Amino acid sequence: MSLLEAQREQTRARYPDAQGYVERDGVRVFYEVYGHGEPTVFLLPTWSIIHSRHWKMQIPYLARHFRVLTFDGRGNGKADRPSGIAAFTEHEFAEDSLAVMDATETESAVVVGLSCGTLWGTLLAADHPERVAGAVFIGPAVPLAPGHPERNVHSFQERLDTDEGWAKYNRYYWLEHYEEFLEYFFSQMFTEPHSTKQIEDCVSWGLEIAPETLIESSEALELCGLESFRDTCERVRCPVLVLHGDEDAIRPHAQGSALAEATGGTLVTLEGSGHGPHARDPVKVNLLIREFIENVERRTQ
Amino acid sequence: MDRRLARREGGATASAEVLTTREQTRARYPDDEGYVERDGVRVFYEVYGDREPTVFLLPTWSIIHSRHWKMQIPYLARHFRVLTFDGRGNGRSDRPEGVAGYGEEQHAADALAVMDETDTERAVIVSLSLGAQRSLLLAASWPERVKAVAFISPSVSLGEPLPSRIVHSFEDVLDTDDGWAKYNRHYWVRDYRAFLEFFFSQFFNEPHSTKQIEDCVGWGLETTPETLVNTRLAIVMEEEETRALCEGLRCPVLVIQGTADAITGRSRGIELASATGGRLVLLEGSGHGPHVRDPVKVNLLLREFVESVT
Repeated sequence: MSLLEAQREQTRARYPDAQGYVERDGVRVFYEVYGHGEPTVFLLPTWSIIHSRHWKMQIPYLARHFRVLTFDGRGNGKADRPSGIAAFTEHEFAEDSLAVMDATETESAVVVGLSCGTLWGTLLAADHPERVAGAVFIGPAVPLAPGHPERNVHSFQERLDTDEGWAKYNRYYWLEHYEEFLEYFFSQMFTEPHSTKQIEDCVSWGLEIAPETLIESSEALELCGLESFRDTCERVRCPVLVLHGDEDAIRPHAQGSALAEATGGTLVTLEGSGHGPHARDPVKVNLLIREFIENVERRTQ
Repeated sequence: MDRRLARREGGATASAEVLTTREQTRARYPDDEGYVERDGVRVFYEVYGDREPTVFLLPTWSIIHSRHWKMQIPYLARHFRVLTFDGRGNGRSDRPEGVAGYGEEQHAADALAVMDETDTERAVIVSLSLGAQRSLLLAASWPERVKAVAFISPSVSLGEPLPSRIVHSFEDVLDTDDGWAKYNRHYWVRDYRAFLEFFFSQFFNEPHSTKQIEDCVGWGLETTPETLVNTRLAIVMEEEETRALCEGLRCPVLVIQGTADAITGRSRGIELASATGGRLVLLEGSGHGPHVRDPVKVNLLLREFVESVT
């Protein structure tokens, strides 16, 4: 909170109509509700390196057509920072998501997840099919296909004798050069030209979580194994749309296409896009999300 | 580009420079376009929309061409008829030889010829930077054709120049090319792109302007340093003449000026508003191209102004 207060939040195109906290096992997360239309679009948290403001290009548009629900995932934004790896598993995020739906009387929603948000988005859809009418996954970070080889060279846990490139994805580097890590990471997230604003935004959101907490959240996500994730995908019954940039430098396009296949979903390949097409190409992504939601609605009516 | 190429293959001759750059897709394409020739020099115009009145987006310094209005055209054309053209020296317009072809009176006469050719009896004219001088000439010489004038970041001989811009000679060979020393004819010929990159980094000094800078550098490369030197040498409108033109203006005037303008400074805009008795809108923190960097704000100001005079 003190960090949040220290940073002046940017003005918004649209402010929430309702907001509040939900507490689960002593951990509070902060949610926001925009608009009143049907159905509800639930913009899920991603990895706690950023918080719900990364949806800022979606919220004002989608809220003109639907009710929009979002929340800051544990570890960042106005949510609590619990300690311990166990506090950051995909199960905790899925349970938080369900608690936010309950607190806001959201019977069912179309969920939208970015990157790691796919882990809890799929889990929510698999475990609570009656609550999830459809799911959109953007740049999914899933274990269904190998990661980029250059991200597999260096150890996260051991102290390295280099900090070149992805060697920055290392706990010691985070603890000692956190801001430089963030700058590098988001330069890889937004590989499109003219992304300085998006990078600057994300770096500043990244500074709202301490590197110690980010390490725990990162280690927790590593625990999600291929077998359990495959099982989750098989249990997803709702319509699925996967959007993946073919220039994604964080997570390979193959992970998105494998997810679409595993869930029986539709894959839309965004040509030239990196890992944050919703921020870098919001019109295209917003139209795809809206079209998907309207198709889901038509099917259920 | 495809449209332009198609048109070219259809028989019209486009300048060779057009083919050197690939035009980006547009949010809106012109409903009409064509060339006007005056004394053997052709300029290329475009018309968008058909609602009265006409908003006439004038050329600025020929370092860029009419695409710099790309954030205005689609919005304004939903409310008004929009007319624009590439100033001689860039875009699809000709590049006359020598300095004389680039005098302000030539640009003003081109503007009038474009109005005549497009049956534009009267218009609200909007100019950027150096376009202010031809705006003043047009409005003073043909007051019955100009309903009102909006100036964005006017470059006129009023107020004070920026101190950083009067250090170095344009004509002499310098022993430095640091900063504004790049605004030098010898440097332009030596490393034109580096000059453009520097100039537009000053033009767009707001954070996150990489796209705007890249666009303008690309447009700058559609003309040559030799042509640009000629346009620069032709820029002569002294304070006395400027003041006389301002005093003669009878139509409504709006001046939009950024407070952080690193090309002409804020004082010229403030002084022009004062000399014309026009309305001054200062944009806090804006550089020299607020219509590109803050288009929503500028478009709303322009629309409100146009509606207020009609």
